[in-house]
Amino acid sequence: MFLIKKSEVLKLAEELSKTYAVYGPVVEKESNQTFFVRPDSIGDIDLDAPIPSQPPKHTVFPQIERIFHYSYDKGAKRAEIIADFKPEPKALFGLRSCDLNGVQCLDRFFIGQEFTDDVYLEHRKKTFIVTNTCVKPFKQCFCVCTDSGPSAREGYDLNMTDLGDEYLVEAGSDRGKALAEKMGLKKAGSGHLEAKKAVVDGSISRFESIATDNKAWISRVMNRITTGFIKGEIWEYIGNQCFECGACTFVCPSCSCFNIEDVNRKDSSTDRLRSWDSCSFEGYTRMAGDHNPRKPVEDRRNKRFFCKLSYSQSKKYLRPGCVGCGRCQWVCPGDIGLPNVVTYIRREITSR
Amino acid sequence: MCEKGNCENTNRAVTIPEIATIDEIKDEIEDVKTFYLSFDDKKLDGSFRIKSGQFIMCTVFGAGEFAVSLPPSPENDRFHISVRKVGKVTDALHELTAGDKVGIRGPFGNGFPFDEIKGKNVVYVAGGIGLIPLRSSIVHVLQHREDFGRIILLYGARSPKDLMYEYMIEKWQKIDGFETFISIDNPVDGWKGEVGFVNQLIEKANVPAENTVAFVCGPPVMFNNVIRDLMARGLKDDSIISTLERHMKCGIGKCQHCAIGRTLVCTDGPVYTYRQIKTLGEQI
Repeated sequence: MFLIKKSEVLKLAEELSKTYAVYGPVVEKESNQTFFVRPDSIGDIDLDAPIPSQPPKHTVFPQIERIFHYSYDKGAKRAEIIADFKPEPKALFGLRSCDLNGVQCLDRFFIGQEFTDDVYLEHRKKTFIVTNTCVKPFKQCFCVCTDSGPSAREGYDLNMTDLGDEYLVEAGSDRGKALAEKMGLKKAGSGHLEAKKAVVDGSISRFESIATDNKAWISRVMNRITTGFIKGEIWEYIGNQCFECGACTFVCPSCSCFNIEDVNRKDSSTDRLRSWDSCSFEGYTRMAGDHNPRKPVEDRRNKRFFCKLSYSQSKKYLRPGCVGCGRCQWVCPGDIGLPNVVTYIRREITSR
Repeated sequence: MCEKGNCENTNRAVTIPEIATIDEIKDEIEDVKTFYLSFDDKKLDGSFRIKSGQFIMCTVFGAGEFAVSLPPSPENDRFHISVRKVGKVTDALHELTAGDKVGIRGPFGNGFPFDEIKGKNVVYVAGGIGLIPLRSSIVHVLQHREDFGRIILLYGARSPKDLMYEYMIEKWQKIDGFETFISIDNPVDGWKGEVGFVNQLIEKANVPAENTVAFVCGPPVMFNNVIRDLMARGLKDDSIISTLERHMKCGIGKCQHCAIGRTLVCTDGPVYTYRQIKTLGEQI
């Protein structure tokens, strides 16, 4: 455990920028929105900024990326596959606990299953993570209900907690510890750990004013979704409000569905691109020959919330697929973000 | 880099295809061709092992990639795929000629049970090009004829010209103890076989209920009728086995396009028992 003065905390990011491309929360002046991006200068990183509008998923799983390219000379019958995939090393600075949990969901899914996704693994091997404890919840947050905040417990290289004049810096890995020592940070004592506990407890207590019933019902609803005891009308009601825009999946820290497309370039080579996809799109499951096993929109909505909240998916992620960031609620034009879906299902349970 | 999968012997990544050459193309029925393939990297011939019922991801250069079932038997069979022209990528594949290259990833999926069904009667029920994925298992079982009880093929197609692998069926029919029942939907001049839907053959063949496994593959309508009649005959839902098709992009359980219920067809399937299919909660 180490300490760093609040005025000097960005020096950590400066140091990281020597080896990594540093990403952090930056407030866009025009819109006053926070984005998790690579700033023009490290000084633009704002650790007090609200939760970023988009999760940092794009740093380890870009929205669109080339996984390899090839060329085929039909006359000479010669094919050449060029696998030169090499992502740059990245440092994620000031990540919120919910978003770290999102990255961990992706880790367990992409790396921890039967096959290892080599593209994702390449990104992840080169990622340095510095988390930032949330000292107060934001308006849409419910990480305490999904057990993913407000302070990160594991999976970081360094974790920072705002103690007022200084940040407590905890190392979660050898390389994190090495960086703190290299920077000559002051050692922290057990008193600082208690101060951190007080900050986290204070943060949790503030959730009470914003965490309404629906959020607290998540575990009960998970049970219902897993066992399938939810009436078809409820899904129909939810499906009727879905615009099929896919926004919920794009802002979700743990959504990982992707599409693969071969795109021909002018120089007669072809890129194999993979890009984010969404299970709310009708063409998502449509096969060649137009057979589509999932048709109605409520069927597709049902599948998404099953993926987020069922126990069988939890086995893959070792936690619920929802990390409580609340972004889906924020962006959904049909008002069927996850907390609202929980509300609809809760109403059905309690009305019996 | 690939830590798990079918590439232990080589150092290739599971997302990168291997290049293969189309040695020969055979016209099957209308819109269906068989492509005989061999790997350009000769080392792969030894390490590329398949199980019947598995599938590969095949890249048509410049067009894209598609999932396709493997018809060859895992033992002593020429490596090939049979593909119907049905969309953008398969259209492009049908344009290719012998000598052209394709990319191959795989094989993926669980495959049909083989050791578990030894000693049992085996019934294959196929409709149309549903015979393609079953071919692998049929050939494999026939290669080990003595290990099985009755072996029956019930095969239906719209018309005689829609019968897949007719030349092969003729060859199989010469094998002692292999029973075939073939029907077409509507009568045609010169047709000497059965007429009607394939589920009507179940009774005709006197399919045994005890100690029997049935492999079913075909269009959804046929599937439901066949299952109903097999169950009515007394077969258990866990001894009816089918292989499902879904939209697939990655083949390795990551893109999630093939998710049904809590399973992914590419890694948990494509072979399921009817008992499993019933619990998945999605249409076939």
